Amino acid sequence: MRLELKKVVKQFGGLTAVNGVSFTIEGSQLVGLIGPNGAGKSTLTNLISGILKPTSGEIWFNGERIDGKPPYVIAARGIGRTFQVTRAFRRMTVLENLLTPGLAKFGNRKSRAQLEEEAMEILRFLTMDHLRWEYASNLSGGQQKLLELGRLLMMDPDLIILDEPFAGVHPKLQRTIYDYIKRVKARGKAIILISHDMESIFTLSERLLVLNFGTLIADGPPEEVKENPEVIEAYLGKDEEEDQFLPTAA
Amino acid sequence: MNTMRAYYDRYLPWALGIAFLFGLLVFPFYQRESPYWVYVGANALFYAILASSWALLAGYNGQFSFAHMAFMGLATYASGIVGREAGIWALNWSPALSIPFGVLVAGVVGLLIGYLCLRLRSTYLALFTIAFAEILRLVFKAEVDLTGGPNGLYLKTFNLPFLEGLTRYASTYAPMYYTMLAVFLFSLVVMYALVNSRYGIFFRAVREDEEAAAALGVHVVRVRILAFVVSSMIAGLAGAVFHHSPGIGIVVPDEMQIGRMSLVIAMAVIGGSNNLMAAAIGALFLHFALEWLQEIPMPDALMSWLQAHQATLEAWGFGLGEAGLKTNAWRMVAFGILLMVTLRFWRNGLVSPILERIMQARAKEEVARGRAAKAGKDLADVDKLVVDESPNEGGQ
Ligand SMILES: Nc1ncnc2c1ncn2[C@@H]1O[C@H](COP(=O)(O)OP(=O)(O)OP(=O)(O)O)[C@@H](O)[C@H]1O
Ligand SMILES: [Mg+2]
Repeated sequence: MRLELKKVVKQFGGLTAVNGVSFTIEGSQLVGLIGPNGAGKSTLTNLISGILKPTSGEIWFNGERIDGKPPYVIAARGIGRTFQVTRAFRRMTVLENLLTPGLAKFGNRKSRAQLEEEAMEILRFLTMDHLRWEYASNLSGGQQKLLELGRLLMMDPDLIILDEPFAGVHPKLQRTIYDYIKRVKARGKAIILISHDMESIFTLSERLLVLNFGTLIADGPPEEVKENPEVIEAYLGKDEEEDQFLPTAA
Repeated sequence: MNTMRAYYDRYLPWALGIAFLFGLLVFPFYQRESPYWVYVGANALFYAILASSWALLAGYNGQFSFAHMAFMGLATYASGIVGREAGIWALNWSPALSIPFGVLVAGVVGLLIGYLCLRLRSTYLALFTIAFAEILRLVFKAEVDLTGGPNGLYLKTFNLPFLEGLTRYASTYAPMYYTMLAVFLFSLVVMYALVNSRYGIFFRAVREDEEAAAALGVHVVRVRILAFVVSSMIAGLAGAVFHHSPGIGIVVPDEMQIGRMSLVIAMAVIGGSNNLMAAAIGALFLHFALEWLQEIPMPDALMSWLQAHQATLEAWGFGLGEAGLKTNAWRMVAFGILLMVTLRFWRNGLVSPILERIMQARAKEEVARGRAAKAGKDLADVDKLVVDESPNEGGQ
């Protein structure tokens, strides 16, 4: 797996949401992506997954240029992502939600029964198998987050981008998501993890990218990034009243 | 589970399905004294095909098109034009050739319109398809040399010898009725094969959230265009066959009016547009109801009372027939109110929840059997995962 961004820029009218971002991710790294609200994290996710097209710059994945390609082509190449605001297929059952990516990717090779079997295994892992016939609209917010993670496992991508998987999730479910991330990583997948939950970001990531106003201001091991004065300023701000902080210990 | 109950749940859908099919098959014999109602039956089947194929496009795939009747008309006109004996472009094709040609034309134009609609959502798609439908209707109205203009285009009717024999035992409209029944069953088989394939899941995923579906690898362009082409071709098939059948033999541009289209949409919505069969049953039922309401049969006693108040009735827009009350425009008012009530209180339609309940009983039973078979495996997993088996198991 190799993802490379070269000077990627995204403008919305006069607003530059992503401003010349370049980085490379290789192998099965777990990369944390942090930054204040509005820094451009979700926009970057949309650019990589093809939902948005960059204004300029290039995105390469496994030796192929993917910017400008439609999202379903990029998904087929092996990039999967979740959405910050969950987007379950509400009037479809949990099982059908999982079958969608399974059939899209493996529909030619695997039978429906086989894919259902795999979906059930994933649902058991996510402790949701009792909900398989339930319409997704009947799930709680946290369960919908798990459902999105389950759909990603079905499509079996090489790179997974998780946009705020812990937001609004009960600690018990958070454990399941932790286990999920570890399991995905154990399978040799690369992960980009976006989160405002500093504790999980610092425990899980091997490398940290920091965005501020669309610009990449730091890229390196978490311990190093934590000491970076620009990052401290972006998080603490010059304003003393700002109450966001970096944890002192990971 | 009680065995009687299990048998009941498992075989009920089959029993009802067979009874329904049987009813459709014997209807012309049952009504052999009144050919009019057999003619109404053939029309009802025509609307049932249109409503269910519209449900495929709008209910399953979320493309709320107003061009469905236009595709019906397009296929009919295309096959009618190549079937003409004289005039420009007269090819004199027989219906056996011209009808498939018309269906193909509907498919090709459906591909084009489906492609142009790709980036359009809900309201914009509706407006776009309204514009297309109206343009097509006006073109057919204006191109008098080719289409016969507002007076309509005369079509060669087909004769099916093996059905002609039935006119002796059933009604004169039996050949037309059975042809439409065959097209109806054929369309349902094709559409059910499609919605039960993986494309059925993709249709609904795209309807629910196109971007999320694309991000999961669903080829949204192919899915949307496929829905458009298939439903347009089925509408075209219904139109071309219906208008070429013995008993019709003409098509007029005003059949493609938005008003007619709205009628099809209302039928599908009242039946339930999330379910092909519900939309079809809704259309069958409503078409019969609308015909019946034209002149509601009245007992003699009531009839004489009504005759005494004829002037008042007529002032209110009603009328009196031989043995019944003519509702004139009021039947459409009743229909409109039914549509409004359905939309307000039964968003899934009136027929669809009933069908779903019948089918769900079967699904539950299948789940129970599946779990019993896999009990050994499941128990092993339960130890590991401590799954809480909530009471909503199997519910939808
Ligand atoms: N579709 C859009 N049209 C216009 N502006 C947009 C659009 N999407 C994002 N933006 C703007 O781009 C900037 C970056 O937004 P983005 O959602 O990427 O931030 P984020 O880092 O994900 O923030 P958060 O932590 O709050 O999720 C914001 O100023 C936002 O208003
Ligand atoms: Mg965001």
